[in-house]
Amino acid sequence: MPYQIVVLIKQMPDLELIKPDPSTGEPNVKSVPLRFETLSKHATEAAVRLKEKYGGKVTGICLGTETAGQVMKEAFAMGVDEGIVITGYQGSNPRYTARILAEKIKSIPHDVVVLGNQSADSYTGMIPGMISSMLGVPLLGNALSIELSDGSAQVLRVMEDRNEKIQSKLPAVISVTQEINEPRLPPVMQILAAGRKPIKTEKAEPGKSYTAIRSNKAPKSERKKQIFEDPVKGIPEVVKALKEAIR
Amino acid sequence: MKTLVYSDSQDIAAQLVAKFSQFGEVTLLVSSGNVDKLKKYGPTSIISFEGPENPDALANIARTAAEKGQHEMIAIGSTTVGRDMAGILAGMIGADVMAEIVDIRNDGGKIVTRRFFLGGKTVLEEETTSKIFTVSPGIAEPAEKAGSPPIEHLGLAASSVSVIEVIPKMASSEDIEKASVIVSVGRGIGSKEGIEKIRPLAEALNGVIAGSRPVCLDYQWLSEEKQVGLSGKKVRPKVYLALGISGQIQHIAGMRGSKMVVAVNKDKSAPIFEEADYGLVGDLYQIVPKLLEALKA
Repeated sequence: MPYQIVVLIKQMPDLELIKPDPSTGEPNVKSVPLRFETLSKHATEAAVRLKEKYGGKVTGICLGTETAGQVMKEAFAMGVDEGIVITGYQGSNPRYTARILAEKIKSIPHDVVVLGNQSADSYTGMIPGMISSMLGVPLLGNALSIELSDGSAQVLRVMEDRNEKIQSKLPAVISVTQEINEPRLPPVMQILAAGRKPIKTEKAEPGKSYTAIRSNKAPKSERKKQIFEDPVKGIPEVVKALKEAIR
Repeated sequence: MKTLVYSDSQDIAAQLVAKFSQFGEVTLLVSSGNVDKLKKYGPTSIISFEGPENPDALANIARTAAEKGQHEMIAIGSTTVGRDMAGILAGMIGADVMAEIVDIRNDGGKIVTRRFFLGGKTVLEEETTSKIFTVSPGIAEPAEKAGSPPIEHLGLAASSVSVIEVIPKMASSEDIEKASVIVSVGRGIGSKEGIEKIRPLAEALNGVIAGSRPVCLDYQWLSEEKQVGLSGKKVRPKVYLALGISGQIQHIAGMRGSKMVVAVNKDKSAPIFEEADYGLVGDLYQIVPKLLEALKA
């Protein structure tokens, strides 16, 4: 049975390039390029593998900025068939993000909605649950593997002290862990072909913020930073400090 | 302010009771099997239920309990189940969530929270009107309190998800969150066998062995519950000894609360040295035996 698979894709600032300003501690977010958010790349790989195994079509939805087309092209190269970019909302209230995404998902056919469990940058972990209740469909959360069979999905859910094999009817929302797969590096021909594929772009209404940010700074490191390039010299000092600390 | 608290982890549930008692009455929502273990932490009242702790069923019961008890805040421990439950509940009642908080306080009538942002690079301090909070482990020390809170029983609705099989994880007796000395290993350890070579040092320090994300999840040289990091355990030992750990921000976010940090790495520009009190640049396999020798002297 061919499945209608939707994958949710996110952009994030390249975290490797983010540096706090040495005097204010504030990060240089605005000057850092946006890239494919890590967890949603794993979700994209999972969605494409479902299509390859069971048949069907993968539609990517990205709520992002004007540059989201670049990320969507990467998703095309990985095997996503259609892409929708929604711009206009730049806030960080997960409930607005989820509502915009859920409304879009409702308007297209969907058997399985795949997304990352907790994005690598903002890390709220709220979108899977919110989308599941907004769509009124089950959530199979934190999946390490996914199987589909007539009208139902089975996943291995990773938990803190145990794992669980869980199951629900379709349609369902499935959030994935970073360990579910290793995203593919698409061949050059696919990247070239992806560049010519059309992307639908839509605009969302910005929502109002529910929080006031007081500060967003790198925590100050108050470490001693006594670094010994010659360990022979450093070891006595380190051992003295260790003995002191564990006394 | 009155808070409803829940976590499927008993440790976090006890911490939530301690933390949110600062703001007023606390109702603990808890599986009936855990009532006896948790009532000693002194919640104002208890609501118990029976049945599997699935996120959608939990969101439903939390909604019912919070409506009945007119709770102004709902605090949920950040676990796999807790995050999914909070998201479902928020979507269901149309309330905002402040996620993954590591601190919460009342600042002149305003609720101010702190959480990591940008993958752990920064800390966001925010004023919020959110009703729901997901709380990182370690927000408070649980404390026992005398008293016998009233217990009410509520029925748990059926879940749309069925659990077919429970697969236990190798349980370890060592809990790195409670250790006062942690010897933590990174990719630089090179192999699973390398861990045995550093074990004598951990024993000499009376410490436990932990690891970075690649060591615990990608290579599985250590089990998952030994992972220190933003996505693993957040630890605050007296001594954190980082061996062959480069110091990705993901990792730093999990050990920043350590009292003293010692790092050993062969790359002198490794970011871990920015977060260390003492650093030794060199091959860990040469340095560890020397450290051990000097410790025993």
